[in-house]
Amino acid sequence: MSKTFKRSKTARLIMMVPAASLVLAGCGEKPVEVQVFNTPDECAAYYNPPAECQAAFAEAKALHPQVAPRYANRQECETDFGAGQCESAPVLAANSTEPVPQQSQASGGFFMPMMMGFMAGQMLNRGGMAGAPQQQTASANRSTVPNQPLYKSRDDRSTFRTATNTAVASQPGLASIKPSAVQPKPAAMARRGGFGAQAAARSSTSYGG
Amino acid sequence: MKRVNSSPRPGWKAFAESVGFNFHTFDGEPYWDESAYYQFSLAQIEQDLEDPTVQLHQMALDLVDDIVSSEEKLTQLAIPEPFWDAVLASWRAKEPHLYGRMDFSYNGKGPAKLLELNYDTPTSLYETGFFQWVWLEDMLMRGALPQGADQFNSLQDKLQQAFSELNLPQPFYFASVTESIEDKGTIDYLMDIALQAGVNCRYIELEQLGEIDGQLVDLDGFPIQGLFKLYPWEFMLREDFASTILTSQTRFIEPLWKCLLSNKGILPLLWQKYQGHPNLLPAFFDDASSLQNGWLRKPLLSREGANIELLTADGKLVKQDGPYNDSGYIRQQLAPLPQFDNNYTLIGSWVVGDSAAGIGIREDNSLITKDSSRFFPHIILD
Repeated sequence: MSKTFKRSKTARLIMMVPAASLVLAGCGEKPVEVQVFNTPDECAAYYNPPAECQAAFAEAKALHPQVAPRYANRQECETDFGAGQCESAPVLAANSTEPVPQQSQASGGFFMPMMMGFMAGQMLNRGGMAGAPQQQTASANRSTVPNQPLYKSRDDRSTFRTATNTAVASQPGLASIKPSAVQPKPAAMARRGGFGAQAAARSSTSYGG
Repeated sequence: MKRVNSSPRPGWKAFAESVGFNFHTFDGEPYWDESAYYQFSLAQIEQDLEDPTVQLHQMALDLVDDIVSSEEKLTQLAIPEPFWDAVLASWRAKEPHLYGRMDFSYNGKGPAKLLELNYDTPTSLYETGFFQWVWLEDMLMRGALPQGADQFNSLQDKLQQAFSELNLPQPFYFASVTESIEDKGTIDYLMDIALQAGVNCRYIELEQLGEIDGQLVDLDGFPIQGLFKLYPWEFMLREDFASTILTSQTRFIEPLWKCLLSNKGILPLLWQKYQGHPNLLPAFFDDASSLQNGWLRKPLLSREGANIELLTADGKLVKQDGPYNDSGYIRQQLAPLPQFDNNYTLIGSWVVGDSAAGIGIREDNSLITKDSSRFFPHIILD
């Protein structure tokens, strides 16, 4: 019978102890393949399942008011995106597409460009286009690129751009991108600094005990 | 239980820094101190510390049921009324908890006396779970301790197991106060363990937590679904984002109901319910009358020994000033810390989930243990 110990079997650290082998995100990041389209119909025409095209489009459309760049007035928006290419932006809930009801869109609200296309990052490529079998086995086979809206600037109507102005493709179909470059970010402004006031006031070396 | 002088390992400071222990010395004074260790028998550990820890923990949990349904008790604990329903909901939903530490006065004989519960933001975790463990293995390897010496310290094993079983929302965030090196050390240690348990961990400075439409958000504005906060609930309930706690869908570790047990008011409530229990000291809510010999007064909400005042049995006043003079007080019968070689010794006994998980020992030159009190390793040897 083996002795029972009162202490941990092992106590190793992997992060606090600096190691040269740690993989840094973004460093040597492998590009992944996504598809970009103007419309769900166009997507289906590229041998993609229509239902998946529609779902990817719907997701991008829902994300659009949350991530689209925001402008204080229509003129500034149209300077970047072209006359008639902007719409009013709803007041946002951070994780909802529902506008906050009591503050109407007209109440001195913001403006944003219209959505001009979408990126399908998670669609299985069953239509005979390149890359499908490999996607199943590669270590990064779970796509890290969310479906998202795309925009076109006033002076470059052929290039699809993300909400953060990263150019991703100049024509519909397959595009190769680095996932970290196309992560959508909410455009709403967060209030910060709401916790920590007592730490500053009491000035201690620790807030544990 | 005895204190044994011991030679520090040559070069231990450089080693400590290489494994992330950047707060081994405070203001030029040692914090980690391996010039001695404490030795316990297995019976002392198991019967006098481990078993009472589990029992007291269950007693405290049983008390939560009484508190959440009593406006009187919630008021006595100074829980702000707007949060009563949320505390109740957090308890009824059985929101899981990770860890806690209870502090004991114990001299090797007789029942250990519970001084207080640190059940929201307990620290000295890294020193206990990791550095003390490494010290023992190192000393055994060097032949500086008898083979067969063990340690009451399954803290890291149990934390890793807890992180793998908590089913945390991911990515899971960890937050601490920016300026505190010690707290960042504790957070780094917890994140390291969580990472080993397969949790996708992210750090955010506490002051950088954002709020959008009632949700706590990260630096990119995304909702934070899960957050470990090394910051006391009693502060959070009184700051600008307090109302966000009620609306955000964030799962907190420790959960909100832990604010009941990290409160010194739990001590008189324990005494009310379990009067005469061998591990409990008589304790009462303070009535502002003058303190009697052999008693101490401490704030409901305080940490690191701050704002404690005591009168020894022969009437000597010992007092520690601090920044926590804005809550109510309790008084507790004094169980003076035992003295070993003129040092006052306190035992911190850890709970992970609902299991006892080891001890850490602090020494001070005074009867009041503080953030600057030295940390000593221990062994079990019969």
